[in-house]
Amino acid sequence: MATEALSARDAARPRRRLFRRQRHREAAFVWCLLLPALAIFLLYRLIPLGWNFLLSFQFWEPTKPAEFAGLYHYEEMFVYDDVFWQALGNTFVYMAMAPISIVAALVLALLVDSRIRGRGVYRTIIFLSYPLMAVAVGVIWRWLYDGKVGLFNYILRSAGLIDAPIAFLETFATAMPAVIVAAIWQIVGFFMIILLTGLQSIPQHLYEAASIDGASRFRQFWRITLPLLRPSLFLCFVIGIIASFTSFDLIYVMTNGGPGHATELLITYIYKVAFTLTQFDYAGALTVVMFLLFLGVALLGNLLAGGEAGKVDITE
Amino acid sequence: MQKTWLVAALSAVVGATFLAPGLAPGAMAQEKKLTLLTWNLPIYEEKFRGWIADFKELHPDFEVEWLDKKGTEWATFYQTQLIAGTAPDIIDVQGMLWAEYAAADGLVDLTPYLDKEPDVRDRFNKEGMTLWQYDGRQYMLPYYFSKSLMIYNKNLFEAAGLDGPPDSLEAILEDGRKIAATDEGRSGFITLNFDWLYWPLFAMNGVELLNEDMTEAAFNTPEMLDTLTKLAEATSAGVVNNIAWTGRWVEPNNAFATGDIGMYQAHGAALFWIAGNAEWVNQDTLGVAAWPGGWGVPNAHGLGISASTKYPDEAFDFLKIATSDKWQTVMADTFTILTLNEKVDEALIAGLDDPLKAETLRLSLANMDKATGNWVTPKDAAIKEAFWPEIQAALLGQKSPQEAIDAAESKVNRALRRR
Amino acid sequence: MHRYPRWPIHAALILVSVAMLLPFYWVLKTSLTGENIFAYPPSLLPQGIQPFFYVDAWYAIPFARFFLNSVLVAAMVIVANLIFNAAAGYALTKQFRGKTAILFVLLSCMMIPFQATIIPAYLITAELGLLNSYLGLALPAFSHIICIFIFKANFDAIPPSLIQAARIDGVPEWKILLRVMLPLAKPAIATNVILSFIWSWNDFLWPLIIIRDVQMQTMPLGLSTFLAYFEDTTGALYAFCVMVLVPGLLIFLLAQNQFIQGLTSGARKG
Repeated sequence: MATEALSARDAARPRRRLFRRQRHREAAFVWCLLLPALAIFLLYRLIPLGWNFLLSFQFWEPTKPAEFAGLYHYEEMFVYDDVFWQALGNTFVYMAMAPISIVAALVLALLVDSRIRGRGVYRTIIFLSYPLMAVAVGVIWRWLYDGKVGLFNYILRSAGLIDAPIAFLETFATAMPAVIVAAIWQIVGFFMIILLTGLQSIPQHLYEAASIDGASRFRQFWRITLPLLRPSLFLCFVIGIIASFTSFDLIYVMTNGGPGHATELLITYIYKVAFTLTQFDYAGALTVVMFLLFLGVALLGNLLAGGEAGKVDITE
Repeated sequence: MQKTWLVAALSAVVGATFLAPGLAPGAMAQEKKLTLLTWNLPIYEEKFRGWIADFKELHPDFEVEWLDKKGTEWATFYQTQLIAGTAPDIIDVQGMLWAEYAAADGLVDLTPYLDKEPDVRDRFNKEGMTLWQYDGRQYMLPYYFSKSLMIYNKNLFEAAGLDGPPDSLEAILEDGRKIAATDEGRSGFITLNFDWLYWPLFAMNGVELLNEDMTEAAFNTPEMLDTLTKLAEATSAGVVNNIAWTGRWVEPNNAFATGDIGMYQAHGAALFWIAGNAEWVNQDTLGVAAWPGGWGVPNAHGLGISASTKYPDEAFDFLKIATSDKWQTVMADTFTILTLNEKVDEALIAGLDDPLKAETLRLSLANMDKATGNWVTPKDAAIKEAFWPEIQAALLGQKSPQEAIDAAESKVNRALRRR
Repeated sequence: MHRYPRWPIHAALILVSVAMLLPFYWVLKTSLTGENIFAYPPSLLPQGIQPFFYVDAWYAIPFARFFLNSVLVAAMVIVANLIFNAAAGYALTKQFRGKTAILFVLLSCMMIPFQATIIPAYLITAELGLLNSYLGLALPAFSHIICIFIFKANFDAIPPSLIQAARIDGVPEWKILLRVMLPLAKPAIATNVILSFIWSWNDFLWPLIIIRDVQMQTMPLGLSTFLAYFEDTTGALYAFCVMVLVPGLLIFLLAQNQFIQGLTSGARKG
């Protein structure tokens, strides 16, 4: 009995060692694969974030040695700086762009997905605005919104909807919606493509089975399409959130945060504080807070989507 | 097929990497080099090359690199370079931005150089030079200069039965009302609003922005409330065109160029722009006058030297060439602009056939003691950011004037007290 | 199968298409007509078509050079993204210690806005000696996190039995990635190419900061320079907008059939 046990242990040992070595090798392989990408993120994301983090506890000017500032900048931000709160509010309003575009994109994707002639053409046209340079898009839309001779004013006035021209980008009430419309125009095609991909990866036989069971198309949409589209929708959501709070070029060109601070987003405010007011230390504090905030939003979104970020699960 | 593509792309990458000049910075660090950074003047390239050629005659062992950035991106570029320790040596700066750098010891004090060479100092308009003095030291030399004036549309004045430019805020608004009433779509008054250009409206009613030693806001007064209330009311009544408070540069210029606005508070550059773009403009239809009370906001560019430069003496030689009679005459003739080089300015005004332009330049140089909106403080940008959005909201009817003034006061004070 | 009228779908899509194309049309019209663009009402149809603004725009900046620079940078970014993202995406399909941490780091990195990191990014690039170079322009864009997740999702969808079979045959891991996984991940490759191209092509702030030499500037900087030149004569500005946008659009249109078809039909199942 004893010998039997011994030999069993002997036999297991090298196999376990082999297994462990293999696991080590696999781990090394995995890390090798990850390394290049991680190096880029370390250099251009994590170290800069750390830099901002350190700076946010200092008094610092480009040409002078730093001094410890404690929580001075954070106090400034939360207690004294109204513009920070306004920019924060605006950023969340601007974020409304994401759900609106996603719903619009879903409708468009469903329409384009139907078997009609020329759907390739429609798809191309709707996507065409996404590859455009945001700076140029800003220039173009500023021209469309022009308060005197802009196309939109012309259309609205010809249709008799308004009497006097509206300076869309220069009026407090209309500036933000106007910017959001331009942002939606640019991104909706991209969302549509993502959702289209998702739609087309839904197995046809599910619909066929549902039809045989007599389920209405509406019901099929709710019970099959929408649940199976969840990963694509989540991807759109993440991209939309990121796009909405890094949307710098467009705002910079169209309104530069104005009028007043009506279209000031956190990102444009950070840029202003750093480069117009030369308060890099304070900008650092703003960056840290913005980062934590949106990390929170993303984690929450991730939680609500019920899974790993970016996981696309098309098994049933 | 796909493989060929991949190979081609990869070789492109490798090739590009080797082409990259930045890969060999060591080779470049050895030669003596100065960098000139100008502000939104790509159109003047040929002349900048001329400065450089003249400089190289004096210092043949030097290389000079010329860079130009658009106004909105200038500061971003310069500050990044400053932090990295590679700041351009010679810089062309607009407005009061330089004071920020001077206060942070980022600029070379030019006073000793000027003491050594008094004839260089004597080139310039004395009062003009004070625009670039901080703590009693001279940090910049004048490059070009203009000041806000009253530009008015004589056709509309005639239509409204007015015989000349007004002499007070009340008169401006009253005349504006008459002009706006002459026809639909017309308004009485418009102004530029960036860089304190609207400030004469307040200055002429006795409003002070800051106290004497610039440590506290001084504008929460009945005069301020009165001025702001009147302007806001006139704006909502259409007497003052909305664009006065929302436009940047092109928008107000365009608005006035349409010929439907009576008065425009702007500097010479705007007048020349309009003269070049609107068909209705000529001697008889466009007038220019000093602002009531002689107030005016200077809009000036200066040339200075970054403290990080390795060759301050040579950089000063470069400044001498740039501001010399020879090159400033070229500048003046190219853009019909004042340079604060007194000899050059005199010759420019005397040589102009166009009386409107000559008058504009003459008026810009007059009343130098009434220059306003040019507080020499490193906090200038922060004060502007604290002040303007609140006042703008009141002018556009988003906030009550008193509320806006209170908010602006507390924000400005906070900005002044901050480290 | 479904017998319902098609025309409402066409009507809706045509309406949307018109709305999407309107800005294109308007900028093209403005750039081509010699009319006074500040006149009201604006004419809806182009009148007096002439190419002068395009000639102006062409001579204002070294267009060909900027174009070439943009192409080179975009090529580097695309190639790097394919390699880096495919590798990282594949790694994330595996179970290994620290995976949760890595996922968290990646998610966090997505939340760090580039505009807020310009200064340190510049200092790092200076340390690497890459200022004013193509590599310096391209390096920060060498990997996009969203693209990594797209690769991962695509790899996840590949039946595990295929990989198991290859493993049993003794195929080494890196070969599995190259020979089995990548050919099956064409949609992800396509998406990566499009996205990294678009993002690199349109980048504005980063080139602005790190490029000093005019000869090294990219197209968006051309637009910025152009705004400095022609702030007033807007007709030429819109001509330049068209010239900046057209190459990007052309490249996209030429490639789009392959890309989007790969992207959509490749994913069709069942």
